[in-house]
Amino acid sequence: MTLVIKFLSSIRGFVLEQNGDELRNWLMVEHDVPSIYFEMSNELKGGFPINSPALENLIDKSLPQEDNVPEGKGSPWPGFNSFIKEYLEYWRDVDFADIVRLHSRLSDLLNSCANALANPTYGTMLLQTSMSLSESLSKLVMNLTRQTDLLAQIQGDMTGEESGERKSIVELAADIIQKIFTSCLTDRSSTRWSEPKGKKVAVYLFANLTLKLLFACDKSRLAVQMFTNLSTSGPALSLFPASQRVTFLYYLGRFHFDHDHYLRAEMCLAEAYRECLPQFQKHRRQILTYWIPANLLLGRFPSWALLQRPEAVGFADIFFPICAAIRSGNFVAFHQALNLNRDWLWGKGFYITFLYRLKPLVWRSFTRRIFLITWQGTAGEGGNRAASLSFEDLVTAAGYVQKLLEGYVPAKPAARPRPHSVSKLLVKAVTNSAAGEADADSLLMPPPGGPRRLMPSEGLIFGNKRPDLENMESVVAGLVYSGLLNGFIARQQKRFAVEGAKKKGGNAVAAGWPNPYESILERFQEAHQDALDACDAGEGVDPPGEMDDVPGWVRTPP
Amino acid sequence: MAATQNTTQKDDKAAAANPAEQQQATESKPAALEEDDEFEDFPVDDWEQEDTEAASGSGAAQHLWEESWDDDDTSDDFSAQLKEELKKVEASKKR
Repeated sequence: MTLVIKFLSSIRGFVLEQNGDELRNWLMVEHDVPSIYFEMSNELKGGFPINSPALENLIDKSLPQEDNVPEGKGSPWPGFNSFIKEYLEYWRDVDFADIVRLHSRLSDLLNSCANALANPTYGTMLLQTSMSLSESLSKLVMNLTRQTDLLAQIQGDMTGEESGERKSIVELAADIIQKIFTSCLTDRSSTRWSEPKGKKVAVYLFANLTLKLLFACDKSRLAVQMFTNLSTSGPALSLFPASQRVTFLYYLGRFHFDHDHYLRAEMCLAEAYRECLPQFQKHRRQILTYWIPANLLLGRFPSWALLQRPEAVGFADIFFPICAAIRSGNFVAFHQALNLNRDWLWGKGFYITFLYRLKPLVWRSFTRRIFLITWQGTAGEGGNRAASLSFEDLVTAAGYVQKLLEGYVPAKPAARPRPHSVSKLLVKAVTNSAAGEADADSLLMPPPGGPRRLMPSEGLIFGNKRPDLENMESVVAGLVYSGLLNGFIARQQKRFAVEGAKKKGGNAVAAGWPNPYESILERFQEAHQDALDACDAGEGVDPPGEMDDVPGWVRTPP
Repeated sequence: MAATQNTTQKDDKAAAANPAEQQQATESKPAALEEDDEFEDFPVDDWEQEDTEAASGSGAAQHLWEESWDDDDTSDDFSAQLKEELKKVEASKKR
């Protein structure tokens, strides 16, 4: 029993001195500890059987509550003693080979630690211990989520909840860590805008730990409540050390990216990147991994200067072909560029997002290119004709691209002089496909074996659907609505009419196809103004705040 | 328990050292595309604002992104094919 008594005596000494660092150093839980912990474990097994009050009695005797505590000193408190009891029971029962049980005991231990930490007078001395136990539990949970058989055992055990609603082990661990986070957040030692004191110093440490766990397990949506709490009462991020700021903004940026708020994501990741020291290349690379996509989705391409940076090694191979395809409005190249690094893009969660959300930019460049090819009027020569783009030309060009996507090949020159009707019949016979109807007038003919069957996402409109006038009108309407094209649809004429060419010195292309990044930002500004107007009109909506407000990011008020 | 008393958190040790030296050990090889997704803990807790890119002002940041990337060149293959196709379809309509 000597070891347990010695251990408790040392713990008491640290508590009296409020020495949080030493408490953390002694209250270890992982398997790679000095052998003396296992010796203590054996002693506990022998001397303190389960259901015996002996351990609790020894703890209460060894860690008595002090009556007169001098200024700056501490005392054990009931929550602390419960935690120490849980800690010693953990070492009595621990079996590092039984991961399922280990997970359960470690969760209970951290929960007990969180309860002890909540003590307003002395809880702060357990901050470091809470951190190290949270890290241990996170590590274990992250490992467990990769071992499906063990995961099934744990999840299978959790059938006790009456509602039938079962939380995953990630959620359960995140809940306990967030309990500690809340303890820190609600500490009253300092205000939101002053130097953090007490438990408040650890607000972003625990936020970051929770985020790390949630993102590692693909559960980032569970972070919503934490960000809401921060926005409501969290201390300003700028009051915390750079490492915590950068880490937090990285996760917050990824969170907004995952929720399709690319402007917010961009703001967070830009700040994280700028504040991260250049020598931390691995961290900057992680930030860039999401910052570049956020910018792409806002219509900005990474510069060569950026792609040449050491932390961007390999990124040019991924992003440059995508940018080139968007720039040229070439859908075939666009699909090729995405498929070139499909595994990487898919693994990071970008593939589907890029496929659908970058497509409008490809359409923008495509319509722009058709306009450049077909519009005859140039500055000063356009006369009275308003600059416009024919939908029929768009249908022809889009049809051509659709055929390329379906694997059509250049028609043999010899086949061209055939009489129209014969050629048409022949093509029909060869392809046995309704899609081949207009091919006689095309430069392309179906590939041997017929056109490729496309997945819905692989076609211009939807799979093998051949683009028609209605499709083109709807594509252009979408581009006008999103601000990527400037003009209106003249339905009678079946044309898109460019507006504002005079303002651009007669440059119809610049007028009709404004800078995409600026257009996208303008749309955000308009949406923000609409929200302000709705608020002014008393429509009972929450005020939208400033344009650059990012939920979860607490900035010092001006 | 003497052994544990010597346990020092890495942050404490690292705080005194040069961040550049700290980083060297982990950053010597170029990152591959199949790198781990984890955003590792920083080897130091805090650093000076002056040492970051943020301190060099927005001038440096402006070179990172291309906002005007439109391509007006219609002499490339893709444009030529589209022109040809439009011409051919237009001609067939007139027949």
